[in-house]
Amino acid sequence: MSLLIAAFGFGLVSMSVIALAAVGFTMQFGITNMINLAYYLNKAGISIWIAMLGGAAFGAVFSFLINRFVYAPFQRKGTALLGMVIVSLAISLMISNAMLPIVGYFSVSYRERFSHLLHVGALALTVNQIAIIVLAMGVMLAVHGLLRYTRLGKAMRATAANPTLARNCGIPTQRVIDVVWLITGGLCGLAGVVAALDSDSFMIASGAGFLITALAAAVLGGAGQPYGAMIGAVVIGLVTELSAAVWAPDYKQVVAFGILVLVMVLRPQGLLAKRGALAAAG
Amino acid sequence: MLVNRATANGRPAPALRAEGVTSGYGGVPVVRDVSIAVGPGEIVAIIGPNGAGKSTLLKTLVGILRVNSGRVFVGSEDVTNHAPEDLARRGVGYVPQVNDIFEPLSVQENLEMGGYLLPESKLPERVEEVTRVFPALAPMLKRRADKLSGGERKMLAIARVLMLDPAVLILDEPTANLSPKLADSLLRDHVQRLAGLNKAVLLVEQRARAALQVASWTTVLVSGTTRLEGRPGELLDRQDFEELFLGAGTTSPAPTLPSPNGGAEDPEVEKG
Ligand SMILES: Nc1ncnc2c1ncn2[C@@H]1O[C@H](COP(=O)(O)OP(=O)(O)OP(=O)(O)O)[C@@H](O)[C@H]1O
Ligand SMILES: [Mg+2]
Repeated sequence: MSLLIAAFGFGLVSMSVIALAAVGFTMQFGITNMINLAYYLNKAGISIWIAMLGGAAFGAVFSFLINRFVYAPFQRKGTALLGMVIVSLAISLMISNAMLPIVGYFSVSYRERFSHLLHVGALALTVNQIAIIVLAMGVMLAVHGLLRYTRLGKAMRATAANPTLARNCGIPTQRVIDVVWLITGGLCGLAGVVAALDSDSFMIASGAGFLITALAAAVLGGAGQPYGAMIGAVVIGLVTELSAAVWAPDYKQVVAFGILVLVMVLRPQGLLAKRGALAAAG
Repeated sequence: MLVNRATANGRPAPALRAEGVTSGYGGVPVVRDVSIAVGPGEIVAIIGPNGAGKSTLLKTLVGILRVNSGRVFVGSEDVTNHAPEDLARRGVGYVPQVNDIFEPLSVQENLEMGGYLLPESKLPERVEEVTRVFPALAPMLKRRADKLSGGERKMLAIARVLMLDPAVLILDEPTANLSPKLADSLLRDHVQRLAGLNKAVLLVEQRARAALQVASWTTVLVSGTTRLEGRPGELLDRQDFEELFLGAGTTSPAPTLPSPNGGAEDPEVEKG
């Protein structure tokens, strides 16, 4: 039983990390209609707590640049979604291989460790992990506030829902999309730093498994639905950690992937997406 | 801004004008060499059969589709192939035939997006003014736009475009899906009132008769080219117009479907 409670605690942490990445992911898909598999690589920055902002900023600028100079030209040529997925896969491979000689195969660790345990009820979490949960909740609230209450956020939703009409309203959709790439890149950079912080040591190959988990959360919630991604992250985070506790930790990603496949078969539009939400956006 | 001086044929100087415009999808021209103009206070109706290229022409005028040849002017400025955002800034408002609202946004957010170019502090006041024009929208400001009825949805689409108080209004089948009564009221009350406020209104209509009753100028588009144009009264007097548009569908008998068992003559077949 205590094992399950501990797993629940890890689930809270995982879901926080996943939520950061999945929300970024899904916003990007919803608004720009594309999936960027090179996403997870943005987090290769090595940083400590204070440099987390740096990681986010790096992710932001990096994703903005990738879009501007790689994806946007392809999209202008009318490359189909499948083509874009291949392009982004190619980019992610190129980047990770280019990074290898620089950062090396070895795991790196953040210097700061807070192995000090805090007890919250039956849960025992490190200060790091609690900080991650708080941070993720703060970011989720900020994303919610942005989308609901600011003119920019509403313009993002309008652009996602009906890009042509948005332009007819005078919304500078290109600039809005640029900002989306900045924000989602930032979220991803943050997720990367936080994921590395949680796992204590980190290497460039860690990204791939994490990508599947975040993708599963995004798809579970309904691609393009930030709130769906938050719920997806909660489900995936808890389920993978609990399954790790009762089954074996090695199967975490298998479980995530299994959920991803199940969702695609049973409810391809995701938990939250209204019927045809994606078609309506395209 | 816009000079409201009458031209030779008694029409006002155009607020929006297309000259010999050719456009289409992916290089295949759908609209060929069409010229059309609408001035302040005018209602110009474009009518024509399905697939004639009416929507294509409007999409070209508002910058969604590329002009392959010809020119488009707003007032005296050449805006050929300017971006849709730029046309919005220049006071051209457009309500498309389909996808005319932001479905996942609330009614109020739709209106706010319509007023995107206004200073943010002016938005609440303008939303209130526009909902006074369509009072039915007032109690549903918080509702998601895809939860509206067909008529409410059209009202929202038109209210949205009024947010910027555009000098030129381009409406693609504003009465489609509306009950005859509501369609009539939309054309008579709202569209005519807007023209009365000196807006230039360019609209596409399937209800040819209703359109001719409110229009000050009519263009008949067939297969992507202008077949006829003139004042509605003059058009109604022409025999070929009567045959082309008003006769079709009202006087010719509906074609009968052959029944699957070959008994096309049997009047009882359809009754089961
Ligand atoms: N996105 C598109 N891509 C390719 N062809 C199109 C597209 N939209 C319309 N067309 C074609 O262009 C022609 C004109 O279409 P358009 O929508 O302008 O007709 P319309 O006069 O508005 O008809 P309706 O009265 O049915 O609305 C049609 O043959 C149509 O099939
Ligand atoms: Mg049409």
